Amino acid sequence: MAELKFLGYLAEVVGARTKNLVLDKPTPLRKILPPSFPEENVIILIDKKVGSFDSLIEDGNSIVIMPVLSGG
Amino acid sequence: MKGYAGKILRVDLSNGRSSAEEIPDGMKRDFLGGRGFAVKLLWDEVKHVDPLSEKNKIIFSTGPLTGQSLPSSGKMVIASKSPLTGGYGDGNIGTMAAVYLRKAGYDVLVVEGKSEKPCYLLIEDEKVRIMDGSELWGKNTFEAQDLLERKHGRNSGVLLIGPAGENQICFSVVMSQKGRAGGRPGLGAVMGSKNLKAVVVKGTGSIPNFDDEKLKEFGKKGYEEIKGKESYDFWVRQGTMQVFDWCNENTCLPTLNFKEGVFEHSKQLDGYVLEKTKIDRKGCPLCNMQCGNIVNDSSNHPSELDYENVGMLGPNIGMRSLPEVALLNRMADEWGLDTISLGNTIGFLMEASEKKLIPEKIGWGDFERAQKLLVDIGKGEGLGKLVSRGVRKASETLGKGSHRWAMHVKGLEISAYDCHACPGMALSFGTSPIGGSHKDAWVISWEISTDRLSYSKEKVQKLIEFQRIRGGFFECATVCRLPWVEVSFGLHWYPEYLEAVTGSRMGWEDFYKIGDRVYNLIRAYWKREIPPFGRPWDYPPDRWFEEPLSQGKMEGVKLDRQKFDQMLSWYYELRGWDQNGIPTKETLDHLGLGEASKEMIG
Repeated sequence: MAELKFLGYLAEVVGARTKNLVLDKPTPLRKILPPSFPEENVIILIDKKVGSFDSLIEDGNSIVIMPVLSGG
Repeated sequence: MKGYAGKILRVDLSNGRSSAEEIPDGMKRDFLGGRGFAVKLLWDEVKHVDPLSEKNKIIFSTGPLTGQSLPSSGKMVIASKSPLTGGYGDGNIGTMAAVYLRKAGYDVLVVEGKSEKPCYLLIEDEKVRIMDGSELWGKNTFEAQDLLERKHGRNSGVLLIGPAGENQICFSVVMSQKGRAGGRPGLGAVMGSKNLKAVVVKGTGSIPNFDDEKLKEFGKKGYEEIKGKESYDFWVRQGTMQVFDWCNENTCLPTLNFKEGVFEHSKQLDGYVLEKTKIDRKGCPLCNMQCGNIVNDSSNHPSELDYENVGMLGPNIGMRSLPEVALLNRMADEWGLDTISLGNTIGFLMEASEKKLIPEKIGWGDFERAQKLLVDIGKGEGLGKLVSRGVRKASETLGKGSHRWAMHVKGLEISAYDCHACPGMALSFGTSPIGGSHKDAWVISWEISTDRLSYSKEKVQKLIEFQRIRGGFFECATVCRLPWVEVSFGLHWYPEYLEAVTGSRMGWEDFYKIGDRVYNLIRAYWKREIPPFGRPWDYPPDRWFEEPLSQGKMEGVKLDRQKFDQMLSWYYELRGWDQNGIPTKETLDHLGLGEASKEMIG
């Protein structure tokens, strides 16, 4: 099972703050996100390392997807 | 040049005189406005003075975009020689006073001298009066705001201090509109030292722009673009409080005086809790993405929260309840204390108690003691006296190694981002022109999105780019940076706005050069006012180098001093400064600041 966590407004885009997915085979991140998911100003961390929408996701991965923020 | 009211208003509280003078075109061209005007005036006029003496001056400065019909333009920079740091100090504030000052015919207000008795300044277009302020003295900022509005009408802009400013507490701020604050490095104390309780501004004129029609059209498009952004609705709901969850996830939430970057009770304080308890929102003039979220505090009074005050008065002092944090925040606003430094100073005292360096018992998260400390700090009494000049001075008094966890840079307390595992952000704090502030270059998001733990030259270049845009352009044009940084509003709009306002076409290269000029003059100011100033002033606290994180995803991580040192050297090299961090003659000459070179070193 892969665990996905969405922060900020990105949780609104997917309709959940966390998602658990069972994947049969390594799958590009883009394919498991809604087509409308924004691809700019987004930070992707896969098992604490920087990833991309093309990164292959497999069971056991922990993914955090968050907006680029400024902190005021 | 169009787009400026064109005048500096000067008021001398010692002799009661006021005068207006033209702003030279060269000053507009070279320094643009806001922070640029402020440092130019301080450099020329405020030399080697005690910051709390009548010889210091406080400058209220706007820019050509201030008060214009474009996104988030109701801003002003307040600057002075800082009583907290001894160097250049400023902060911006959203206030109707900024809008009305320009309508009254002035871009800048300079107040000098000292009134014999408590007073306030009343500016009604060209009519400038020093008023008796004895009725206001001792009142908190909410009460005084109400009194002044009753007296002068709601169509006035008010800048004022609370009792903490009157008592010259070195991290007291200037407040406006019951919740807006500016001037972290003790600019409230500077007003207090002059017996100046408030500035009330009423203006009825208009700013002569180059092309009002074009400005109106572009301004409208800008507002529409912001509202159409995908992140806009969420921003309206949580504002900067969405950063709370973000920081906890990324192990950079300030926790227990910056010992850690995660807080086990974060879910009781985050933006989702705020959403559930929110009763209203408010913000600065001319803004359509207001960031002030109002909640009822634990005594059922409204309190305006944002990330910085919740971060510093929440996890940093071990508080677990948002309504209780809200109460501390409201009290800080009423007293006119900076919430960032307040969270640092209370955290410092709690840690000193934990380490048994002081006899008083003050546990982490002790709400009752935190309230009492806040009042003592506002009065400068008891333990409050120990920290009333900030954690740097407190650690010098306390000794026993407490300087290692006195969380400041250059004497200004660090804002709400733990940097054990963020070397770029640590350098950002180190090189901020006012001390430990995040506002000039919040590079942390970029570094987490790339190679977080690297100490690369690319990171230093990015940091300087942010300083040029945020600390340079936005502070000098004097509009809020949040539309760009929070909802990705296009930077391409700003040259358009400036052209519509001034009639001059300028590009980002021009803005960068102005930003560099401003940064170099600020740096020269520090050197002139504090002769030993140099490289040692640019390091973040020892804690981040010496005590690794013990919790969260970055457990075991701390900053590497040698690698940080290398980044700092690159920073100086890229800035054109020597390895002691002092601008070289060539750099100053290139920026048209040749005269500053000699004066800087005395």
